[in-house]
Amino acid sequence: MDISFSEQDLQFQEEIRSGLINDFPAHVREKQQKGESLSKSDMIDFHKFLYEKNWAGYNWPVEFGGTGWSPVQIYLFLNELAAAQCPTILPFGLSMVGPVIYTFGNQEQKDRFLPDILQFNTWWCQGYSEPGSGSDLASLKTKAVLDGDHYIVNGAKTWTTLAQNADWIFCLVRTETTQKKQEGISFLLIDMNTPGIEVKPIITIDGDHEVNTVFFTDVKVPADQLIGEEGKGWTYAKFLLAHERFGIAGVPVCKVQVAKLKEKTAAYKDADLNKKIAELEIDLMALEFTELRTLAAIAKGGHPGAESSILKIRGTEIQQRISELFVEAAGQYILPYEGPEGFESNKNPAGPDYASTSVAHYLNFRKTSIYGGSNEIQKNIIAKAILGV
Amino acid sequence: MNLNYSDEQNMLRDQVLKFCETNYDFTDREKILDSDVGYSPENWKQFAELGWLAVPFSEDNGGFNFGPIELTVMFEEFGKSLVVEPYLSSVVMSGTILENSNYAAKQELLESIIAGEQHVSVAYAEANIGYNFLDCVTTLDGQGNELTLNGSKTIVLNATNSSQFIVLAKHADSLALVLINKDTSGLEIQNFKTLDGQTCGELTFENLSLTADAVIASGEEAIALFNQMIEVATLCISAEAVGAMTASYQKTVQYTKEREQFSQPISNFQVLQHRMVDMFIETEITKSLLIKATLQLDSNDSEATKTISALKVQVGKAGKFIGQQAVQLHGGMGVSNEMSIGHYLKRFTVIDSMFGNTQHHINKYSTL
Repeated sequence: MDISFSEQDLQFQEEIRSGLINDFPAHVREKQQKGESLSKSDMIDFHKFLYEKNWAGYNWPVEFGGTGWSPVQIYLFLNELAAAQCPTILPFGLSMVGPVIYTFGNQEQKDRFLPDILQFNTWWCQGYSEPGSGSDLASLKTKAVLDGDHYIVNGAKTWTTLAQNADWIFCLVRTETTQKKQEGISFLLIDMNTPGIEVKPIITIDGDHEVNTVFFTDVKVPADQLIGEEGKGWTYAKFLLAHERFGIAGVPVCKVQVAKLKEKTAAYKDADLNKKIAELEIDLMALEFTELRTLAAIAKGGHPGAESSILKIRGTEIQQRISELFVEAAGQYILPYEGPEGFESNKNPAGPDYASTSVAHYLNFRKTSIYGGSNEIQKNIIAKAILGV
Repeated sequence: MNLNYSDEQNMLRDQVLKFCETNYDFTDREKILDSDVGYSPENWKQFAELGWLAVPFSEDNGGFNFGPIELTVMFEEFGKSLVVEPYLSSVVMSGTILENSNYAAKQELLESIIAGEQHVSVAYAEANIGYNFLDCVTTLDGQGNELTLNGSKTIVLNATNSSQFIVLAKHADSLALVLINKDTSGLEIQNFKTLDGQTCGELTFENLSLTADAVIASGEEAIALFNQMIEVATLCISAEAVGAMTASYQKTVQYTKEREQFSQPISNFQVLQHRMVDMFIETEITKSLLIKATLQLDSNDSEATKTISALKVQVGKAGKFIGQQAVQLHGGMGVSNEMSIGHYLKRFTVIDSMFGNTQHHINKYSTL
């Protein structure tokens, strides 16, 4: 056993670090440093920068235009990104639909979609949850009926993150009513510009417009946009969940946040707060090493599966605790609030500069223990798969 | 980075596991605890024959040149069966101090420990200094061959069975580690059973005369040896705790599958399932810090001290949670002394109290 990184890995880390120093778009960096929210074009600029550095396919195999990096390299890469205050890479194209397409799609689909995903020419969103199907995802009702060379899609998807920016949506749709509800589900790619699609904003408790409901009314979808086989969508969805394990714990961003929390509150000399921060740091250290253990298992050819549920549960708990501590540190100054964008310049109220953004973040991050399979669902998975109860 | 145990380390784990499976079920353990000495001399003889007592020592001193990784592998297995043999006090604590010292007589002493011929305990705790062991009041006065020891030490592990003691004492504006025989005049020993069925003692020194050859180390060297010993010992009981956590959640899962209420196994109830998942997660999280601390200590990483404090905090919190929940999910049986599960709770409680408890290490972590 050996805890240190190899010379090769350290050299890799240095390349990423200097690449970020030299080429990370300055206007995005500036907004990130100030804690300002990013526009659609900022996000596109950031992702195009990743592509230009040949980093976009950081978790893809070489044959599909990816980097072919080892788990340790991916870990180091994501750490460096967070340390340089990069925004989080949008997972919908690069970590979700991309791997499904290169694993289960046909050649024509790979040629058609993969380059645009890597280059971020298309913004993808995820059509899984429905108004009536949350944790019980397989109960979904959005229907796709084959009519000649098209599917006719009717139904609604909800909690769709950044659908207002999206060019495409990947959907789980019901193509057949079967006894076992998982068996009638298919995986369909839909152009957001198709007639019959309506995007309706949902404003979350922080006042932000991040998620939406997407309504489908007689939407005509070419049949060649079906991935794999009809009725196999559930299998692909499960594959996708397992593939999305890198960075699921959000450790690199948490480390940056804790450092910021310490920096912002150092002058308070608040023993109670400092004790909570110490306990948080310890939990974060343990989580980070748990992630490394998982990566080591993957590198050895293992499939962590249910173990990655630990990363989801612990990671989101820690993310939420960090957000709570910022709010606690800000005290009464969280009261003045004009939404997640903060205050108009020169109109800042009294109190620390992080007060308003931290309470927005706190409210927004209640989502983390709910999305991606709620933490309760993750516990069901561990109970069944690992404890055998 | 390589987080895989070597074949040799896996073999050692299997060997300890097999030994415990064969010799250490709950009734075997009960019999051992009922005996006067509080451990099994036959088991100890086997430990020696299997070479286990030589594990952490260098080849020069008759050992296998193994280190923290092998020790934690063994202790994790010990923890699963709540092994009570005094491996911690004789081999880890006394052994670590002697192994790393420049003490002239160390080889002979280590050989007798490795052969299982004698036990040696470290006397470090005192009545009024809490976990700040270096602030001790027990004092070694004089110099050369005219040394006098006065004071007292408490919670000396396995004192009943030890023929010699390594005592931490204040000496000439600094500290010293001295070796004393149990028969030395001026030494009084009072023995106690511990909460978890082992033994410990209180040592009182009244004008106990010593010569220069009793001094193992003094000054900075003594402090460094002592601190290093505490770190290795903390790591070992943490590994033991991880083993005990693993056994606790696994036994609880097994019990809830067998126990029927409302005409079904109680493991069907989601509230119990999620509780057991929490126990499992805490175990894995603790194991992560254990491995990190072990590897850092193994590579003399300067961050090891901080990670060991983090580990001890996690061990304290997780041990308490898992121990309590294991009892809770066993229902009334959980509080019965006849069931093994409550004995894990006792061990977690003891482990948290040793070498700095959760609160102590949160504070220490903050200052590092």
